[in-house]
Amino acid sequence: METQFDVVIIGSGAGGSPIAHTLVQAGKSVLILDKGPLLKPQYQNADGLSDFKRDELFADGPAKRITHNVANKGEAFYSSHIEPDINDEPHIYEEADGRELATIEGYTAQVVGGGTQLYGAVSLRFSPLDFRLQSFNAGRGDLVNDPNGDVQTEARDWPISYDNLEPYYVKAEQLVGINGTAPNQLKPFSKDNYQPPLEPNPISRYAKTGMEWLGKNTSNRESVLPYRTPLAVITRDHAPSGRKVPSDPETIKTSYVNRYGCPLGLKSNTWVSLLSPIANSSNFEIRPNCCVTRLECQGDKISRVVYLDPAGKERVVEGKIVIVACSAIESVRLLKISAESDPEFERRINQNDLLGKYFLTHCFGGASAIMPDRSDKSKALDADWAIDCCATEEFLKSKGLWAGGAVYNNTSDRALPISLGRNHRSTDLDTLWKGFIEDTSLVGDDLAQFLDNTVGRGLSVSFMANQLPLKRNRIELHPTVKDKWGRPVAYIRKIWHPHDQYLMSTLAQCCGDVLRFGVDPAGGTFQIEGQGGVYQAPNGLARIANHILGGARFGTDRNDSVLDPFCRAWDFDNLYVTDGSFMPTSGGANPTLTIQANSFRIADELLKRL
Amino acid sequence: MDLQILKLDEQYILNQCTKFLARTNTDNRHNFGQFNNDSIRAQIAESWRFPLLDSYSDGNDPVKSYNQNRVTFVYRHLRDNQPQSVSVIGSFANLYEAIPLQPVTFLEEPTGYYALTILVPKGEVHIYKYIVDSQAILDPINPQQITLDNGQIWSRFFTAFCTQPLCFDDWEYAILKRLVNRILPFRTKEGQNFIERYYNFLDSQSKDSLYPHAYRLDESVGAANFIDNILAREENHYLIDYKICLAQIDRILRQRNPFIEPAIMPREVYMDLYNEMSTDVVEGWNYNQYNSPLYFLQLLRRHTFTGAFAHPKYGGNIGAAGWAYLSERYSDSQKTLFDWRQAIEQPLGVNSDYHG
Repeated sequence: METQFDVVIIGSGAGGSPIAHTLVQAGKSVLILDKGPLLKPQYQNADGLSDFKRDELFADGPAKRITHNVANKGEAFYSSHIEPDINDEPHIYEEADGRELATIEGYTAQVVGGGTQLYGAVSLRFSPLDFRLQSFNAGRGDLVNDPNGDVQTEARDWPISYDNLEPYYVKAEQLVGINGTAPNQLKPFSKDNYQPPLEPNPISRYAKTGMEWLGKNTSNRESVLPYRTPLAVITRDHAPSGRKVPSDPETIKTSYVNRYGCPLGLKSNTWVSLLSPIANSSNFEIRPNCCVTRLECQGDKISRVVYLDPAGKERVVEGKIVIVACSAIESVRLLKISAESDPEFERRINQNDLLGKYFLTHCFGGASAIMPDRSDKSKALDADWAIDCCATEEFLKSKGLWAGGAVYNNTSDRALPISLGRNHRSTDLDTLWKGFIEDTSLVGDDLAQFLDNTVGRGLSVSFMANQLPLKRNRIELHPTVKDKWGRPVAYIRKIWHPHDQYLMSTLAQCCGDVLRFGVDPAGGTFQIEGQGGVYQAPNGLARIANHILGGARFGTDRNDSVLDPFCRAWDFDNLYVTDGSFMPTSGGANPTLTIQANSFRIADELLKRL
Repeated sequence: MDLQILKLDEQYILNQCTKFLARTNTDNRHNFGQFNNDSIRAQIAESWRFPLLDSYSDGNDPVKSYNQNRVTFVYRHLRDNQPQSVSVIGSFANLYEAIPLQPVTFLEEPTGYYALTILVPKGEVHIYKYIVDSQAILDPINPQQITLDNGQIWSRFFTAFCTQPLCFDDWEYAILKRLVNRILPFRTKEGQNFIERYYNFLDSQSKDSLYPHAYRLDESVGAANFIDNILAREENHYLIDYKICLAQIDRILRQRNPFIEPAIMPREVYMDLYNEMSTDVVEGWNYNQYNSPLYFLQLLRRHTFTGAFAHPKYGGNIGAAGWAYLSERYSDSQKTLFDWRQAIEQPLGVNSDYHG
């Protein structure tokens, strides 16, 4: 059994896998430890079966009850087969009134491939502006709902620019396997590596029409046009990973995409796209079902990585380089737990007070409506059309906004029958089923009517935008609640800034307009169900969209950041953090592709020193 | 009967065991009222998952293999001294012959897990015990147990597409079906037409054994059967709610209509009852015994809707009748607008790339 490696990587998702992929191919010895199981697609198993199924009860399993002594004790929860059990490993968050609640929000999946197994696969680049929001906002006096000037105080430029990261976006798009279109994206592409998209679902034509209207009516000097949303689902045979698509690629569209692992391995999770190609290399090993419990250091070196094996036995490995990439909340938690048991580690990781601070998610929300006619939504991937008109400098200045975001339509939501009930009037994973079971009028003929109104007719348009960084938004260790190993769980304490709320309302209006003008291009009078931002949800403070970012931001000033520009902890020689926690701002798009691109960048840096 | 034993896949076993079984904390975090607090099951997550149930393919013909499940028995030894032998006896094998479980290793070291994977036909219920160093014991993990007529207690499991009664007496099942029918849309005129046609269609297809238990297809499209299944396994903690409330409903309906069996009372009786339950005020309800008929109704609503539209392997949506109802109801002139078959494995659906 090997215990010494060039590189030990904790977490096999978007932050860890690009590094393993690069370093193994360069001949370095790499071990990945992942808390979750290794679930393979059909083509990798001798019997031709996968542990992932097209099964609605996999996405959200049977009812369990929260048993922790928190304010929502006794309430039902439904987690995916590869999300943690809240009773074993909850996230606790603080409500506005000070109550503490357990939540499933903020977890990615605990499985080899991490969040990329369940994600909706939207793989947008951040815009060049997302990397320099401090510079962009310097001296502005027009920002709405920011009386204390928090934007100017708290916005940060990234220590790298879009141009620095662009070659790695290109590399990630090629190696991960993404379909979409580059024209009309307001981001410079040195190379277009997208596979061709599939035919959009017929219902998405309304989104396209609406986006075309929006692109002409958002204070941009030139009209902005929609493009096919880049999705990490292959539509053609993918040479870098050796994956093949079905003879009729259109059959890939099943709506078992967002929140489902892909049994055919067509969704480009990091296991099938980046790790499988190196899986048989003698210098690569992955140990699934292994939970890292702490790091130990000698001086500025991480000397030991301590983990529990699948039976719960403690084991130790060593790496010349140690990469922490277990998603922002869990990475911060691991570092904080390590600091609690080792004063040297504590002194080094907390050389300033920023670890866990500036935790970020996204300002997100949108609008939804019932379309006049019906389409077969069971044949869809997650998003068909996207537009960048709400991320331009002109748009932001016209609205007094500090930052913008992407707008895209969701096609696979409310596509499958159980999800119609489960998501009726519910806004998040913590309130699944609540709306349906409480709406007792949906019975018999009225239930038939409900199905008539909703099957194949719901269309929603979402935005994904930057959240203003605030120091008080933070991840801590909870003082009393412990996980199944007796380790303190993560405590999420965050609020929305008034400017965030304004931003969400503004972009929700844009999403609403996409639907209103999508059906009625001339007048925009079509009635929609509603529009809004996540802050308006009953548990809006918990809402994270599984985009967990910040908490260990990188920067050029050691007093203002946890990590240096190459994501190395300032006072350690060999400790890197490469999941979304490095981000100083959350970007105006889903973060996975940017995490992957950054990890490819870090990998090149590591090659210089190994 | 020839028992087919599959080669042990250690990665598969560990994938299923670590999350649910491995832990040091001994709080009763997973007791929602269904366990004694001194039961190990109160401490581990989702003990109902054991023995593990999965789909099966011989690697060549997943359609031919479709009628069988992989069943994996897992024994975890908690004490220090490892047993000399662990085996299983059960109704799935000849004359209760003991079939050995193999130790599962990680990095060439024993994990304390022992496992065995066999094939069992779908739609079956079986009893079993472990033999640990020649001592017969109940499965310490799986909560499903059954007391036989001779008073002996055995561990139990059932495979997919199960339509044998598990939790309810006939009278309970009859009332449950009526309640489920009240909720679902299949009692509408079109709904009933659909069910009749679909039932006949299934009947004519049944010789290829695709839908072996279609006889339980009715207006509930098997949703009541799904509820029976889920209460026997995944959501056993809600069985007590059903037991109490179905008895109350039986009593109340008999008080209201002394001369008719609840199972055959007119539809209006159940509509009235549903409406009363939805206000949480039911005349004759014993609130001391169960304080919220509305809570039970809400539980029933979730289970009913899920049962009608979940994958048929869970025991509802029999013959995919729930999906077929949507598929027929929603179509344009040329084609359905809910083409569930194209995503779903054969022989249930038509997708030849996905094997279920």
